[in-house]
Amino acid sequence: MTTDLMPGALSAHAIRDEPYYRAVGDEIEIFAAAYAGRLPVMLKGPTGCGKTRFVEHMAWRLGRPLVTVAAHEDLTAADLAGRFLLAPEGTVWQNGPLTMAVRGGAICYLDEIVEARQDATVVIHPLTDARRALPLEKKGELVPAHPDFQLTISYNPGYQSAVKDLKESTKQRFVAIEFDYPAPAVEAEIVAREADVSGEQARGLIEVGLRSRNLRGQGLAEGASTRMLIHAGKLLRAGAPVDAAIRAAILLPITDEPDLREALGAAIAASLPAGLAA
Amino acid sequence: MTTGALSRPDALPRPAAAAGAATRLLRLAGDRADVGQQLRATLDRLRRRWSAEDVDDWAEGALALVHANAGGRCLALFCRLTDMSRGAGAAALAADACAAAELARRAGSKAAAAALEAAPAVAARLAPPDRARWWAALSRLARAAPDCVEPLVERSAIVLAAGGAHGFKDFVAAGLKAGGGDRGRLKAFFTLADPAARRLLERSAGEGGFHELERGLVLFGAALWGAPPRLAALEGVGAAPAAQRVSLAGDLIRMPHVYRGVPADAAPGLYRAALAHAMAHRVFGGPRRPAGKLKPLQIALVGLIEDARVEALAMRRFPGLRALWGPWHVARPVAATNAALLMGRLARALFDPDYEDPDGFVAKGRRLFADASGRLEDPTLARAIGGLLGNDIGQMRLRFDPKGYVVEPLYRDDNLGLWDFGDEPDAQAEEIEQAVDAARPRPEEDDDGRVADAPPREEAGRAREVEPDGAGQAIASYPEWDRAAGVERPRWTTVRDAPAASGDRRALAAALEALPGFRQRIARLVRGARVGRTARLKRQPEGFDLDLDAAVEAGVALRVGDIPEERIHRADGRRARDVATVALVDVSESTRDRVGAATVLEIEKLAVAALGAAMDAIGDRFAVRAFASCGRDEVRLTRVKEFSGRMDDAAMARLAGLSSGLSTRLGAALRHAGAELAPLRSHRKLVLALTDGEPSDIDVADPLDLAEDARRAVLALRRTGVDVFGVTLGEGCDARIFGRANTLPVRRIEELPARLSELYFRLARL
Ligand SMILES: Nc1ncnc2c1ncn2[C@@H]1O[C@H](COP(=O)(O)OP(=O)(O)O)[C@@H](O)[C@H]1O
Ligand SMILES: [Mg+2]
Repeated sequence: MTTDLMPGALSAHAIRDEPYYRAVGDEIEIFAAAYAGRLPVMLKGPTGCGKTRFVEHMAWRLGRPLVTVAAHEDLTAADLAGRFLLAPEGTVWQNGPLTMAVRGGAICYLDEIVEARQDATVVIHPLTDARRALPLEKKGELVPAHPDFQLTISYNPGYQSAVKDLKESTKQRFVAIEFDYPAPAVEAEIVAREADVSGEQARGLIEVGLRSRNLRGQGLAEGASTRMLIHAGKLLRAGAPVDAAIRAAILLPITDEPDLREALGAAIAASLPAGLAA
Repeated sequence: MTTGALSRPDALPRPAAAAGAATRLLRLAGDRADVGQQLRATLDRLRRRWSAEDVDDWAEGALALVHANAGGRCLALFCRLTDMSRGAGAAALAADACAAAELARRAGSKAAAAALEAAPAVAARLAPPDRARWWAALSRLARAAPDCVEPLVERSAIVLAAGGAHGFKDFVAAGLKAGGGDRGRLKAFFTLADPAARRLLERSAGEGGFHELERGLVLFGAALWGAPPRLAALEGVGAAPAAQRVSLAGDLIRMPHVYRGVPADAAPGLYRAALAHAMAHRVFGGPRRPAGKLKPLQIALVGLIEDARVEALAMRRFPGLRALWGPWHVARPVAATNAALLMGRLARALFDPDYEDPDGFVAKGRRLFADASGRLEDPTLARAIGGLLGNDIGQMRLRFDPKGYVVEPLYRDDNLGLWDFGDEPDAQAEEIEQAVDAARPRPEEDDDGRVADAPPREEAGRAREVEPDGAGQAIASYPEWDRAAGVERPRWTTVRDAPAASGDRRALAAALEALPGFRQRIARLVRGARVGRTARLKRQPEGFDLDLDAAVEAGVALRVGDIPEERIHRADGRRARDVATVALVDVSESTRDRVGAATVLEIEKLAVAALGAAMDAIGDRFAVRAFASCGRDEVRLTRVKEFSGRMDDAAMARLAGLSSGLSTRLGAALRHAGAELAPLRSHRKLVLALTDGEPSDIDVADPLDLAEDARRAVLALRRTGVDVFGVTLGEGCDARIFGRANTLPVRRIEELPARLSELYFRLARL
């Protein structure tokens, strides 16, 4: 019964238009090769540097639907695999997103997998080795993966504490691709395009990003991400003054510490040309 | 130590049904030839203004002076003070008199008279509680160094101007420690002949000073240039006032404590401008060049061109620096009477394209510099242009005073770092460089084998084993910050495991019970502390959301006729408490001081006993260490309670057995607490330091050195995720060590619960 629902359920996950992705290195080739071998992939890198966009792009390129799950600390195995629900005629099984992808041959992207509970990380193990199957414990069923199914996870090594880290036994199952903020010229290109701002404005925003990333480990857990720079760019685009845009999109979200904010604000002001600066 | 109480009129013995104080005063002194008439006149005036009771209060003060044999002059001055401070109440005036009587007893009537003479001026400047602080500080000085009272009283205005009443009190404390019982040194300090005393004043004037701004500057530098700059405060040499220009030595940027005359709100911008200029030298400047036979004027001119060159390069990279530096270029085309003025104008002309200056020399400098704009990277450029301009000034016959010359504008450095003076090497710079080398942190390798570019951490977590030696078991050694040199001295202090004595735990327990509701309040606070992780709890009796799995199971149970489980909700909750705490108890000599009715140490013991019982009861991880030191090789730590042990009778006996003695090397104790917490896996880690907040030790002349070291230790711990709070007892505490928000001043034991509730409140929000 449930299998009949699959194509319809997954069709919502098909990606029809090409998501813009600016390749930074050989990540497209590596991912394509991993997919060809149906190897699970781990995207390592700080938040907001293009991992999600990359998977969307690859799913489009490979012509597969994409099922994305953002992990959080209450995410359990049942949330991934599925559970019984009550219906007038009795209990019915409801597939979780992972089961849906496994059955339908989608790419399943588990974002920030470390955030999930331990039991959630363990249910993916059988999918990542020769078994390629998903055990549905509650249902007493072993779902073999569709030949086109592939699992991708993301992982930010930067901000996990020692208590919260991927287990070695999990890490070793994946092919890893490392992501970082792109080189300034490339990042400026991305920001200009995504926020629809001028090249000069984008380059200014990249400077802002560099200043904040210099403070990584100096009180900031992470510098401003590409995503944040794009947000600031969109505010500029909508007519916000530069200092207000930077404050709202970057300085305020990034830290609660007044000293740090003031120092970063001053460094940003120092690195922007008078026309752009506050 | 009963003196504290004496400065309060209500603590004076009042013979119960005896005659009123005013009557007794007149009986005793009303007929004195020297002041009798003045006393009577003053009393008459007061009677017209005040109630009989107030007059008696006032008279109690005067009587205190009489009983202290303070002499007629003191009484006369007291009357004068009374006349001059019309607004002051009887109690405040009586307090003044009692404090003066105390001085008379300890330091002689001359000192007391001097203080009473200065009092009207002080009263005009300070509110009553601050006035009491001033008296208390003098009284403390009178006890330790009586002959210093008079000189300090005479300089009260200067010291109060620098730091107010609190600053005054700190100044006395610092002076007593710096003098270390040596009369000559004490005298030099309190007459302000000692440059250390003047530096201290300069610093406590501190709003907008280097110490306040240092962290922000390091962050600013790191954000701009990628690596945190190494900063230190410039110490004046000998009696010379501390310099007003940045000085570069090795990779150290040394900055003035304060820029005198710069308003506090302009100071952050000025310091940033100064740092950016120094970094421009560092990044775009060349190696040091031999000064050779260059004349002072040429050296100054080459420096001026070099300043313009590196700034131009820096502004290419960071265009916004122009706005940072611009406001400080204020030279104007006024008549040039000497070379320095003209050079100030040239400096502005090279910086500011819009600046107009009719002078031919300025124009020529501008032209030469503009012609070279295509080869600004050339480090020899300054030498070439500077040489040409030097000849011109020579021909203009303008006077150049090499001794009086200072680089302009204010934010620029002294440019001495540009030069190698050959046969007379700059010994100081070299020494600093060596020290910097010795202390340079090794880059750490991270897991991937890459060299981490994260900032070097202080070695808080890496206690090294030290061989046992005669003076007791050494258990670890830690670095210490050397404020004067601006470097961290590795392995500088040795922490030793001092044996615990056993004391009367029953008496301690009884004292605790004697405080009504105290133990219970603390226990409630500790229990209520939100120190676990938040989590969504499943299968809860109530909550904001259904727990699907539980709900389905309940539904199934209902249908098959079982009794359903009622706990089918999800709720926000705290998972198990997960906090580890080290309480550090200061047991140095100064904990013998009284705060209110008890000594600092007694309050500490009560606090730790209550906290310990509360944490023990709910199973928090908790250790207690007492610390005192006798020089850097002997930082004694007494283990009162281990993480693994219980707060049992034995631990209470060890706590009760603590006694005051030796000095306070707070930084070392903090680092050790951090090292003990490091291996624990806890969600929250907490160090609670109970201290009078005045670090000092016998081998450190300036107590501010250890305060600064402790402040750095706190910052280092914070970087490793340990929250550090200071429960500071008594008056002398320096909020800078723990940070204002993390300093919990406790003046009476009854205040402790309130302070602790602030602590836990902050902890829950951090
Ligand atoms: N290489 C890239 N090509 C195109 N857009 C990018 C790229 N890198 C980052 N972005 C932009 O940054 C935003 C945030 O990236 P995202 O993929 O959501 O980050 P992550 O998943 O790493 O947290 C994207 O929405 C996209 O606009
Ligand atoms: Mg200079």
